[in-house]
Amino acid sequence: MMQALLDSFAAAARGLPLTLAIWGAGVATGLALGFVVAALRFFAPAALSWPLAAAVEAVRGVPFLVQCFLLYFGGPFIGIDLTPIVAGWVALSVYGAAYFSEVFRAGFMAVPPGHLEAARMLGIPRNQAVLRIMLPMMALAVLPSLANLAVILIKETAILSIITVPELTFRVQGVGSATFAFAETTLVLAIVYWALVEATAVASRFAERRIARALAA
Amino acid sequence: MSTPILSVRALERRVGNTEILRRIDLDVMPGEAIGVIGPSGSGKSSLLRCIAGLDEVSGGAVMVEGRQTRPGDGAVGMVFQQFNLWPHLTARENVALALKLVRRMPAADAAAKADAALARVGLGALGGRKPAALSGGQQQRVAIARTLAMEPRVLLFDEPTAALDPELTTEVLDVIRDLAAAGTTMLVVSHEMGFVARLSTRVVFLDHGVVVQAAPPAELFSPRAEPRVRSFLQTYLDRVAWAREA
Repeated sequence: MMQALLDSFAAAARGLPLTLAIWGAGVATGLALGFVVAALRFFAPAALSWPLAAAVEAVRGVPFLVQCFLLYFGGPFIGIDLTPIVAGWVALSVYGAAYFSEVFRAGFMAVPPGHLEAARMLGIPRNQAVLRIMLPMMALAVLPSLANLAVILIKETAILSIITVPELTFRVQGVGSATFAFAETTLVLAIVYWALVEATAVASRFAERRIARALAA
Repeated sequence: MSTPILSVRALERRVGNTEILRRIDLDVMPGEAIGVIGPSGSGKSSLLRCIAGLDEVSGGAVMVEGRQTRPGDGAVGMVFQQFNLWPHLTARENVALALKLVRRMPAADAAAKADAALARVGLGALGGRKPAALSGGQQQRVAIARTLAMEPRVLLFDEPTAALDPELTTEVLDVIRDLAAAGTTMLVVSHEMGFVARLSTRVVFLDHGVVVQAAPPAELFSPRAEPRVRSFLQTYLDRVAWAREA
């Protein structure tokens, strides 16, 4: 039993770098994509914002597990043939973007119209008003929600194991399959993910404070 | 007689089937201070917002010095009931931002001009403060300085003290009175009747989107005023009387 635990921790350590890399990449592209989607939904004409709204609803309405299957196993039928790691990164980005975009959209809506009217009366061009007034104002409001979502996404990376991404869960489950020590390996997974979530939560709170201070300065 | 600096001609605004403003005509001479009063929903704010170009008009025209206005062209400046200061910027940055972005002034010049505008509203020492660190009255004075710095031809005040408690109202009204005394052309929507009476060269009484009466305050705040105006003003007099008795 002790050996199974040690093997599991060793496997977790081997899988950890890929988990962190795919999570970091997924959060980064998810944020960028989510911001663009939110901005288009907020500023673009209805013809563009409606399909985007439908896409966001679809992504939020389908389990992440099913989305991974669709992309990895269904993709080749329409010419999208991705390696497991790339498929995992794309799936995580799209899934994250749907949720991030809703937070950004709420942020856009939270800026009082009067603040932009004041800018308009002074002759400040619309794009400058968005850049200098709207974005800094919404950044402070959306930061905690974005950080929270990013922390949640780290747990979702576990699902990528089912499309054979050799990340943390995949590696540790490999130990389970080889030794039949399923209880030990699952316990190790629980401990490692919990530790990861706590670490990223602390890190994100630190980053949040730094960014808030930078914006306030 | 000089030519009007601001001309409102047959101005109409409809929203759906509701007529907000019905054929408003108004000429404002340079240096005039026009008080705009009337019951809630009478169209006072809509009139200001149409003059500013923030609300779409359904008919008629608004001209400043003979030219049709649009928001941001520098002809008209607006001070809002809710101040609308940008909370992430200091008082000085609030005033300087448009100077930098619109007037293309170098940062140092914009800051100097912002400080001068803040000094004019009595806030020369508080330029480094964020709006959250200022009282409501100070915030509204920063908003006035922000508008002044762009040197608009006509200043619009949309209930500038309605969001302030009575003790903070005075400092804002004093600033507006100083500006009027210095010859600034302005339209002021306000429920501060005593202030309107003392400030205005003329007072416009609106009801249901119509100008019921436009007259010098001595005439409008008198028993000779139109009956609708008198009944409106009577509610204010009743309130003062009640306060005296209480």
